[in-house]
Amino acid sequence: MTELKVEQQLVTASEENNEPQSLLDRRLEAYKLMDKLQLPKMQRFKFHDWPLIKNQPLKWVASDPQAVLEDEADHEVIKVVQFGQSTIQIALPKELQDAGVILTDIFTAAREHENLFNKFFMTAIKPEENLLTAYHLAYLNAGLFLYIPRNVQIEKPIEAELIQDNTQDEPLISHILVIADRGSKVKFIQHLTTVGENEEPANMMIELIAQDNSEIDFSSLDELGSHTHTYFKRRADIGRDAHVEWAVGLMNDGNTVGDMDSELLGEGGYANSKMIAVTTRQQEVGINNRVTNRGKHTTGLINQRGVILEGSELIFNGIGQIIHGAHGSKADQQNRVLIMSDQARGDANPILLIDENDVEAGHAASVGPVDPHQMYYLMSRGIPRKQAERMVIRGFLGAVLSAIPSKDVRNKLVTILERKLTDGQQYQ
Amino acid sequence: MATLEVKDLHVSVKDEESKKEKEILKGINLSMKTGEIHAIMGPNGTGKSTLSQTIMGQPNYHVTQGDILLNGESIIDMPVDERARKGLFLAMQYPAEIQGVTNAEFLRAAINARRADDDQISVMDFIKKLDKNLKLLDMNESMTERYLNEGFSGGEKKRNEILQLLMIEPSFAILDEIDSGLDIDALKVVSKGVNSMRGDNFGSLIITHYQRLLNYIVPDTVHVMMDGRIVKTGGPDLAKKLEDEGYAGLRDELGLDIKLVDDED
Repeated sequence: MTELKVEQQLVTASEENNEPQSLLDRRLEAYKLMDKLQLPKMQRFKFHDWPLIKNQPLKWVASDPQAVLEDEADHEVIKVVQFGQSTIQIALPKELQDAGVILTDIFTAAREHENLFNKFFMTAIKPEENLLTAYHLAYLNAGLFLYIPRNVQIEKPIEAELIQDNTQDEPLISHILVIADRGSKVKFIQHLTTVGENEEPANMMIELIAQDNSEIDFSSLDELGSHTHTYFKRRADIGRDAHVEWAVGLMNDGNTVGDMDSELLGEGGYANSKMIAVTTRQQEVGINNRVTNRGKHTTGLINQRGVILEGSELIFNGIGQIIHGAHGSKADQQNRVLIMSDQARGDANPILLIDENDVEAGHAASVGPVDPHQMYYLMSRGIPRKQAERMVIRGFLGAVLSAIPSKDVRNKLVTILERKLTDGQQYQ
Repeated sequence: MATLEVKDLHVSVKDEESKKEKEILKGINLSMKTGEIHAIMGPNGTGKSTLSQTIMGQPNYHVTQGDILLNGESIIDMPVDERARKGLFLAMQYPAEIQGVTNAEFLRAAINARRADDDQISVMDFIKKLDKNLKLLDMNESMTERYLNEGFSGGEKKRNEILQLLMIEPSFAILDEIDSGLDIDALKVVSKGVNSMRGDNFGSLIITHYQRLLNYIVPDTVHVMMDGRIVKTGGPDLAKKLEDEGYAGLRDELGLDIKLVDDED
């Protein structure tokens, strides 16, 4: 297709979706950028031959809600369900609506809350960063929008169930934008899964705008299918005295490359970026987890734990950067991986970039087998080797498990973990 | 009745620094039955812990000669978990800490590992048994929901070892320096726990440096180990004699040419 034809096609699709001109203009700009941009780079990890871009026009396709098994209603959370491009469930309690909270799909936000949307959408993650961020904006086809007004505190976690529809021939290009206005507070959980067997890319981005004194707890259970190549990018812009906690359980079955980014912009901000990952079979996963201290007296923590099974590969890069002028800041990181078979490959690379003297910085990294002392102890009580191994691993991953606010999601994560570990152990 | 026999046991371990195998046990013979409590005493560095770890099956210790028989069956080629399920237990000097696994979950897993898949312990039975033993050991109920040994004080760890002993009910328990670092009250509690197990279906091998513990858990037999061998066996009075005369006294009486680690030159 010629460039003109593609642009014309984007215009048509955008019109079909009733998008405001401002979004269409940004799509077209982003499309133009794609020519000039490269794939993102990641230290010690190769993924440039993966099919992360689908060469086909932007299309609107409805997914059949019947195909998605409904869980029993969980009253502990405010639940949102999106299947492919279709929003199946979204219901914000009345008192939160009255308080001015906005929870909609991303396109409704673009239409009905145009100013707010334009002010923040793709300002933390910028389309010009790399080819995949530009692609994301040009071909965006799903997502959610959450705005919490000043000083509003939402007690119940909001749980977004995002289901990739691989029964369709469509990539999933999804964007979650969370804006926590000053002094507000929210817990957000996303659960990613895949239905269907088609080979499709998933391009998943999250922007958290944590304004002064706000607090965002963001947990994610990623469980995308084995036929999905995933690129994700999650970034928090953290204001003065704002607080962001990430807890990610990366349990995708397919190849995945991801960027976690916490930008400590205002004085006294705090970010704690926790991730656990389990890789199996011939899977390849590479993660950059970056925290940047820009404001004074900011605290940036990274804790990554990985378990590498069978013939898979997992790279954890922890990047802690303290910018000149960020006096009294603290950066600390831990990157640890367990290697569970002879064919498993992996690395944990702490990278500290410090441009200020008056700071506190530390790191720890380890790559190796499960702790033999712990194994001996459990086995000396009669617990069989494989079960003991799973217990030790669960302990190793415990910090992230316990950080997820929903018991239901936590239990799901433990179940997946047990399944992956049990499968992986067959291989040893 | 169960039996545990150690026959002409020679054990070596790789020295971390020189990377050379060093022989620690030089022909140990020991025979015990359930219903009996044996104590092994000896000076530092004489191989007491090596013996306990080797019986349990710690993979760093290599049996170069001799055998260990549990109920007449050789166990030296069995992995540690299998030995445990056959009835051995080792209360360790340095228990591991495991985050993310609660004490209660661990205890249930250990009990159920000994039972058939269709005969797992019920939650009610488990809680009843746990409550009873917690009370006996003067332990707080909150201990069970804490992560295994994580952040436990030295005394809490020792009590937790005995709690496991009471929950698992092995045929033979080896207690490796269970008295080290305990104050007198904790020592009494730990002894009470062990004594509650005494009976026809339980035997114990108590490894200790000091006689004090044996005032509370009175052994049937006392063995003295020096330089990788058992040099003397006797009744409880042997322990008292050692307390009075010291290991050097016994060594000289037996005419042994052994240098004790704590000897002053």
